Amino acid sequence: MLLTVDALRVIYPIKRGWPVPGTHRLTAVDGVGFSVDTGEALGIVGESGCGKSTVARAILRLVEPSAGKVVFAGVDIARLPLRRMRHLRPKLQMIFQDPAASLSPRMRIGAALAEAIRVHDIAKGNAINDLVRNALDEVGLPPNSVDRYPHEFSGGQKQRIGIARALVLSPDLIIADEPVSALDVSVQAQILNLMARLKAERGIAFVFISHDLGVVRHFCERTSVMYLGQVIESGATRAIFDAPAHPYTRLLRSVSPVPDPERTAAPLVFEGEPPSPLDPPGGCRFHPRCPFVTGVCRTTMPDLRPVAARQVACHHAESLPANEDAP
Amino acid sequence: MSVLDVDNLRTTLNLNGRACHVLRDVSFRVAEGETLAIVGESGCGKSMLAMSIMGLLPSVARITQGHVVLDGHALEKEPERAMEKIRGARIGMVFQEPMTALNPVFTVGAQISEPLRDHLGLSRRDAREAAIELMEKVRIPSAASRYTSYPHEFSGGMRQRVVIALAIACGPRLLIADEPTTALDVTVQRQLLDLLDHLQDEGRMGMLLITHNLAIVAGHADRVVVMYGGDVVESATVRDLFRNPAHPYARALLASLPRVDRDLSELASIPGRVPPLAGLPDGCRFKDRCPHAMDICEQMPPPTEMPGEAGHNVRCWLHVEGGEHAADG
Amino acid sequence: MNDAPETGPPPRKVRSPGWHAIVIGASIMVVVILAALFAPLIAPHDPYAQSMLARFRPPSAEYWLGSDRFGRDTFSRILYGLRITLWTALASTVMAMVTGTAAGILSGYHGGRVDRWISAANDVLMSFPQMVAGIIIVALLGPGVTNLIIAIAITTFPAFYRMARSAALALRERDYIDACRVLGYSDLRIVSRHILPETMDDMIVIATLWLATAVRTESSLAFIGLGAPPPAATLGGLVREGFDNLLDFPGLAIWPSLAILVVMIGLNLMGDGLRDANDPRTSA
Repeated sequence: MLLTVDALRVIYPIKRGWPVPGTHRLTAVDGVGFSVDTGEALGIVGESGCGKSTVARAILRLVEPSAGKVVFAGVDIARLPLRRMRHLRPKLQMIFQDPAASLSPRMRIGAALAEAIRVHDIAKGNAINDLVRNALDEVGLPPNSVDRYPHEFSGGQKQRIGIARALVLSPDLIIADEPVSALDVSVQAQILNLMARLKAERGIAFVFISHDLGVVRHFCERTSVMYLGQVIESGATRAIFDAPAHPYTRLLRSVSPVPDPERTAAPLVFEGEPPSPLDPPGGCRFHPRCPFVTGVCRTTMPDLRPVAARQVACHHAESLPANEDAP
Repeated sequence: MSVLDVDNLRTTLNLNGRACHVLRDVSFRVAEGETLAIVGESGCGKSMLAMSIMGLLPSVARITQGHVVLDGHALEKEPERAMEKIRGARIGMVFQEPMTALNPVFTVGAQISEPLRDHLGLSRRDAREAAIELMEKVRIPSAASRYTSYPHEFSGGMRQRVVIALAIACGPRLLIADEPTTALDVTVQRQLLDLLDHLQDEGRMGMLLITHNLAIVAGHADRVVVMYGGDVVESATVRDLFRNPAHPYARALLASLPRVDRDLSELASIPGRVPPLAGLPDGCRFKDRCPHAMDICEQMPPPTEMPGEAGHNVRCWLHVEGGEHAADG
Repeated sequence: MNDAPETGPPPRKVRSPGWHAIVIGASIMVVVILAALFAPLIAPHDPYAQSMLARFRPPSAEYWLGSDRFGRDTFSRILYGLRITLWTALASTVMAMVTGTAAGILSGYHGGRVDRWISAANDVLMSFPQMVAGIIIVALLGPGVTNLIIAIAITTFPAFYRMARSAALALRERDYIDACRVLGYSDLRIVSRHILPETMDDMIVIATLWLATAVRTESSLAFIGLGAPPPAATLGGLVREGFDNLLDFPGLAIWPSLAILVVMIGLNLMGDGLRDANDPRTSA
C-alpha cells in the first residue's frame, strides 16, 4: 500500500463561551482509517463539517494529527519532524479547491513552477525550463503561459496550473480537496478527464475529497463515507452507490440529484441537519437522524465491520430493509 | 395564463461607450404553478436576466428592447418606487447567500413581519402571528421560540428557510430563486427544494429557478431554458431537453455531467471557455467552441426555431431549413 | 479537451485613483529634496556664520528671508535644516519599517509564544502617546541626531509591526501558503519569497504616511529642546529659536513653520495617493 491511514484523530482546541471563554476540544477527525494503492483513487465523501478536509490536511501535516498513524511509502509521517517531512513532500502533493487562492498572486507561472523544481534540486539550468514546459503541455496549457500571472487565467486554467505545479515534482500521491467544485460543469469535465489520464498514464494515486457523489463515482474506484469525524461506510464505489448499506449513505445517495427526469426521486424520510461536531451525540453518531434507530444505537458506538463486501459501521447493517431506489 | 411573460428582451451594457447586448432577444413564459429553470454556466447571463426582471440592473445596464410582463402588467417602464412595492409583494426573491438578504442586527421575526406590516398593513400583533405561521410553513422547528433569534444563530439551511418565509410573506405571484441551494449540503439542498416545490404547489406561484446545476433541474422543474452568452439557446420541457437536446451546447453540457447512478467511460467536455461580456461575438455566440460551426454562424445570430415538438425551441443554424441532418455527428 | 488560451491579459487600468495626489505630492517632494541635497550650492550664506552687524535683518536681496539674532541667514538655515530633518525622518522611518516588518511577520507567521511576547512588548510601547515615548527615549539616550533617529524609530515601530503582523496572520490562512508548505518550502523561503512581497505595498504606503509623522515628531522634539543640539539647524529647532523673538520678528518662526508645512503636505499627498491607488476596493 502506498498510503495507509490508521486510527487518525485530530483534535482542535477552540475557545468558546462568554464572558470568559473556556477551552473546548473539537474532535474533527475521530479514528479514521483507510488505504490507497498506486494508481488508485479513493474518494472521501461527506457533508460540510464531517472532517473530510481535516483528514487531507492532517495527512499533509498542515494540521498536526493528535493520534494515529499515516504511513506513506513505508514511513510513518504523522510523527516525522517537519524538517525531515520536507524531503518526502515532492511525492505527496495536493490540489486545492480554490485554484485562484492556491497560487502566489505575484509570481509568474514559470517562476512558480521553477521554484518547486529548484527547492528539491530536481533539475538544473535549462532542464528546469524543459520540465516546466513539459508539465504545462501535459495539463494542456500553451508554453507562453510561463510569462503570465495567475490572474490572467480562467478558473479551469488556474486549476491546470495547480496540477502542473504538483506534476513537476513527479508525485506518487495527490490529495485533491474538492478540486472541481468551484468550476463550471463543462470545465469540471475537462479537469476530471485530465486527472483520470494522469491516474491511468502516470499511475498517480489520488485521495479525492468531495461532496459530490456523481463526481466521486466517476473518478474513484473506492470510497469512504464520513459522518461527524468518522468513516461510516467504505468499499468499492460502485457497490456503495448502487446499494448503500449504512442509513446515512442511503440518505446521501437518495438526495444526490440525478440528471434524469424519468427517475422520480424517492420521497425524503429524513429531516433535520447534522449536529455540531463540537457536541456529537453518544452511541452511533447518526442515531438522532436515523429512521432505523434502536436502543443499542443510542448507547454503543458501532465499529466498522465487513458487511456485504464492504466495511459498514452500523449495528443493523444486515437487517435493514432493501434499498428502494437502487437500480 | 402566464404569470410572467418575458418577450424579446434585450439588455444592453454600456462598457466605456461600447454597447454590449448581454441579453439578446430573450423570450419565455412562466405559467401559474409552473417551475421554469434557467440553466447555464457562469457568465451566461442568467443573473443579468434575473436583475432585468426585478428592475435591479446596475446603472451601466438597461433594457433596450422587449417587455417583462408580470400578470399582464409591463414592468420594464415602471419607476423605481413602484418596482420596490412589486418586489416586496408580488415577486419573492431567494438568493444564493441568505446573509445578503437578512439584516444581521434584527431578529428574524422582526424581519419577516416587516413586509407583512408594510405591504399588507397588518397590526404589530397580527404580523407577529402571521410571521410565526410563515416560519412553521417553511418548517423551522419551534418557530415561536425562534422568532426572537438573530440570523447568526441559524444554520445556513435554516437561514435560507427564513429567506424563503420572507419571500412568500405577501403571497407573491412569482418566486425567483437564484442558485438557492448552491452554498448548501446535498441533504439540506434536497429539503429546501422539496419545500419550494410544496410552497409553489400550494400557492400556485410561478417559479423561476436559476441554477448551474442540471441535475436539480431534472427533479424540480417543469420547463427549462438553457442560456449561453446572453442568448436563450434552447428551451423545452425538462423531459424533452434531457431526452432530445438539440443545441450543440445543451448536448455537450448534458454529456459532461458525471452521474451518481451510472458509470460513464469519459465525460464530454467543451473546449475553450465562456466568452467574456466585453467580447461577446456578433453571430452565434457559441460558434468558437462549437464542433459544427459553419460560415453563417460567423455572420448572423441564428433565429429561434422549433425543430420537433411544440414548445421546444432552439437557436442554432443547424436547425434552420434542412440543417437538421448535419446536426448529428 | 483543451482549454483555449485567453485572447490576452485583461485591459490595464490607465490611471489609478490616487494618481493626481501622487503627482502633486511627488513634485513637491522632489523640489524639497533637491533643495536639501544642493543646499551648499543654493544657500547664499554659511548657515552657521554669525555676524553681529547683520542681526535681525528684514528680508532683503541679501538676506532673502531675513537674519536671526546672531546675524545668520534664515533662508540658508532652513535649507540646511531641511537636510537634517529629512535625514532624521527618512532614517528613522526606514529603521522602523525594517524592524517592524520583520518582527510583525515573525509574530504573525510563527504565532504562539513568540507572538505573545513581541505583541506584549509592542503593547507596552503603544500605551505611551508617541510624543511622550519620544521624550522619554531621548531623555534616556541623550541628545544628538543618531539618538533622535533611534527615538523616532522606536515610537514608529508599532505602526509597522501591527500592519505586518495582521498581514502575515491573514496570509498564513491563505491556500497558497499551504501550497508552499505542501511543496516543501522552508519557512524562511515562504516568509521571504511569498509573504514579504505581498506585504510590501502596504508597508511602503504607511512608510510614506509615517515619514510625515516623523517630520512632525522631529520638529516637536526639537521645539521642546530635545532635538539636535545647537548650533545644528533643524526645522523644529529654527521654529523654537524664532519663538524667542516671536512678537518683534515673527518671520523667524513663520518661515521654518511654512517649510515644515510644505514637507508635510507633500508627504501626505503622496501617502494618501499611494494608499488609494493600492486599495483593493478602488483598484481591480
